[in-house]
Amino acid sequence: MASLPQLIEEDIGELNSVLQELLIKSDAGATLIIDKGGFIITQCGRGLEFDCMTLSALSAASYAATEGIAQVVGEHNFSSVYQQGDTFSILVNNVDQFCLLAVIFKATLSVGAVKYYAADTIKKIAAQLQVAQNRDPNQGLDLSMLNMADPSSMFKKKSA
Amino acid sequence: MAIINQATKELQVKVVYYGPALGGKTTNLVQVHDHVQTAAGHKGKLVSLATSSDRTLFFDFLPIEAMAIKGFKTKFQLYTVPGQVIYNTTRQLVLRGVDGIVFVADSQYDKMEENVKSFQNLEDNLKSLNLNLKDIPYVLQYNKRDMPNVAPVEFMEYLLNNRDEQLPSFTACAHKTEGVFETLNMITRLLLQKFIAQSQRRVA
Repeated sequence: MASLPQLIEEDIGELNSVLQELLIKSDAGATLIIDKGGFIITQCGRGLEFDCMTLSALSAASYAATEGIAQVVGEHNFSSVYQQGDTFSILVNNVDQFCLLAVIFKATLSVGAVKYYAADTIKKIAAQLQVAQNRDPNQGLDLSMLNMADPSSMFKKKSA
Repeated sequence: MAIINQATKELQVKVVYYGPALGGKTTNLVQVHDHVQTAAGHKGKLVSLATSSDRTLFFDFLPIEAMAIKGFKTKFQLYTVPGQVIYNTTRQLVLRGVDGIVFVADSQYDKMEENVKSFQNLEDNLKSLNLNLKDIPYVLQYNKRDMPNVAPVEFMEYLLNNRDEQLPSFTACAHKTEGVFETLNMITRLLLQKFIAQSQRRVA
């Protein structure tokens, strides 16, 4: 199964700069790039205010479920999910086969404006992911520093 | 597939608890959430998308950071799937990007057919995602060992673990936390061993 290319610091730096640009232009609160499996790839803005890990897992699942619903009714031109809130709204856009862009913005802002600025950001994110893909699709990372020789369990039960 | 972030030295891994309905998948996550010993901030909220009667509707989700790993922050995202047969589309969605699987089987005799069907369903769903169970680390958990009508472990091994290379399997009473951490530690160990082996092959 094809998967997200291995991203290096240069990629993450470029993605962060693109997200920052979107934050400034759209006046959004936070922007996240999310893997379709539910992982956060990177985030910018006031993300610390939110539980971004849960947000990314639920956003990816919500997007996938809504995409499934769209297909059931024969709608194949599906690319975004919008949740309108009282305080914050969330727009989740498709980037490519691996990634989504989530934008959290004040409910007083126009979703149309956020969509307009996000369109350009999506192109830039996809282009950077393509750069990573072209670099070496099978490039890995040396994880030998993970201390697997340590015999202790990774997860321990609290003592009563 | 797992996300390795070189910039933040983070490894994010997705583990899915799979198995027949009412087998104890959600109970495993609840027990991990309630009893795991973690540093402050290393355990996220347990999110359950369930019906009013606490049956899993979409999935349960628990983010948790592993201890005792040097160099990298290793974040595990634990998911369950709904076990009921009608929710197969949902199970396929949750399996997307899976790195490791815990198959939670119900030890009661009258649940054996459901166990086998659920296991076959897992293989079918992975195939629909162009994945093969042989390539994914997974462990078996024989849950509900404290029920009166349980099948012997040997019988369950024959039904679910009958292959050339046997998988790690654990007996459990998830609601008492028995076997829950043993299972979780084994799947995390298998996953990290796989990633290390892959990375060494690439570096070589």
